[in-house]
Amino acid sequence: MNTRRTDLVIALTVLIAPPFAAAQTPERPPIIAGCPTENLAFHTCALQKAKTFTPPRTPSGKPNLQGYWRSRLTQAFSVEGVAEDHPLVKDAVTPWDVAPPEIVEPADRKIPYQPWAAPIGRQGVNFREYVDPRTMCSTAGVPRLALQDPSQILQPPTDDHVLWLHEDHHQFRVIAMDGRPRPGDDVRMWNGFSRGRWEGNTLVIETTNLNAHTWLDDSGNFYTDTARLTERLTPIDPDTIHYEVTLEDPKAYTRPWKVAWALVRDRTPGGYELFEEACREGERDLGRIREQGYKLYFGAPWRFR
Amino acid sequence: MRHGFTRSMIAVAVLSVAPIPATAQVSAVPRTPDGKPNLQGLWQVLNTAAWDIQDHSARLGVPAGQGVIEGNEVPYQPSALAKKRENFENRATADPETKGYLPGVPRGMYMPFPFQILQTPTHVAMTFEYAQGVRLIYTNGTPHPRGPINWWMGDSRGRWEGDTLVVDVVHFTDQTWLDRAGNFHSDELHLVERYTMAGPDHINYEVTVQDPKVFTRPWKMSMVLYRRKEPNVRLLEYVPGLLMEEEQAERERRKTN
Repeated sequence: MNTRRTDLVIALTVLIAPPFAAAQTPERPPIIAGCPTENLAFHTCALQKAKTFTPPRTPSGKPNLQGYWRSRLTQAFSVEGVAEDHPLVKDAVTPWDVAPPEIVEPADRKIPYQPWAAPIGRQGVNFREYVDPRTMCSTAGVPRLALQDPSQILQPPTDDHVLWLHEDHHQFRVIAMDGRPRPGDDVRMWNGFSRGRWEGNTLVIETTNLNAHTWLDDSGNFYTDTARLTERLTPIDPDTIHYEVTLEDPKAYTRPWKVAWALVRDRTPGGYELFEEACREGERDLGRIREQGYKLYFGAPWRFR
Repeated sequence: MRHGFTRSMIAVAVLSVAPIPATAQVSAVPRTPDGKPNLQGLWQVLNTAAWDIQDHSARLGVPAGQGVIEGNEVPYQPSALAKKRENFENRATADPETKGYLPGVPRGMYMPFPFQILQTPTHVAMTFEYAQGVRLIYTNGTPHPRGPINWWMGDSRGRWEGDTLVVDVVHFTDQTWLDRAGNFHSDELHLVERYTMAGPDHINYEVTVQDPKVFTRPWKMSMVLYRRKEPNVRLLEYVPGLLMEEEQAERERRKTN
């Protein structure tokens, strides 16, 4: 508790993320839920495991995903991974960790950008000219919210919504399970609009209506406002969820592609609760960032190209 | 005849003033599978408390309004009353709302934006369209964490008293206000909220406000939360801080292009 309170004090009084600090890479144990932890190997193994695992149920008979979750097999630098010879691995100020890609499809494990989009993402224009949107206290966006900080899933017994709470900048996602239609295309939001359904033991969430003012990772990888994201949360043992996202965006990509990692149940002794991570309320850096010539993102490179 | 007439009048009178039988009230309130009132849905006030929690005449851009305070008085200590007046004079820039900050509690409950309640046997969550605020009220019997903690939306622990959800809220900052008229509190703010469904589409919301640094005694606000009934209604987003930043970024973009 003391450590977490210190985190909070820092968050409130200093600043949130120093804009260019390397994100900490969560631990990557050799095995999770009996599966290897290189992302593609985990993905393949976990989908097999899911076929034989019977998850606990809510009173209404739905798979029970409730509880506190932490992401594993993730790194914040790039969904395309960080190779050993990447220049930033040896960066004197903020060295990046070597890491495998979170991408599990296509086979080359690269984002299938259209030609115009590749130089904007992938440590391109976004990375060089714009500050990470999280720096101005925005949501990390979908699916980056599920990449870093702890989260909590609640399933009201009425089965009409699932609530996914994230500690990161007090973000929440209200996932509509009631089958009603989404808002019109002109209603765009930071976390989009999410509709969910159960497919067997898998919670499937489709997210549209994204303003696409967020990034996928520290490298400035991105989607546009025509993106449709399909997340699949499948329990593979009592404490592990296989988390997979299919990203489609006819404006930016040549084909759908997938990332996958693990969500592991928080087993902190004595229990765990999310803390309030107010961000803008303690933010002091944006003025200086602007003075340095960096711009705030709001999708500018793809919106005004 | 005369006698009979009187008797029937009495019967009518009794019927019309008798409280609605408990069973009728119960059936009018939606319930969760565990039998608690089902508070879930999108809710919004229809009052002017966001501008001023007290009685006030119209000002430019401010609808006239009847206050939501029992007795209309905020019992400020003398020095706090001076501070309130100063806040009012400087409200155009001093109001934390103008910075795009989280509104705090109870202010967040009566901003002119909807919020959604989601409810499980162990938690009542409130997700706010305004500033992506969130309150997670624990109804699992756990106590407040040990302070000092300064949270913008406080720490909320609730329990059911019959059909009323009673929520104790502490661990605030002194940075939030109670309305746009400069009413304020300190970090010793302590709220006791009562949520009682008055029917399927109305919640009677009462909040008792205590703050020994600012007020001379506890005082109470009450108002109605109305269910948003539009068939397609959804909780959307209004993130004032980011809208401010976006506007500035847009100005800079136009300047350089």
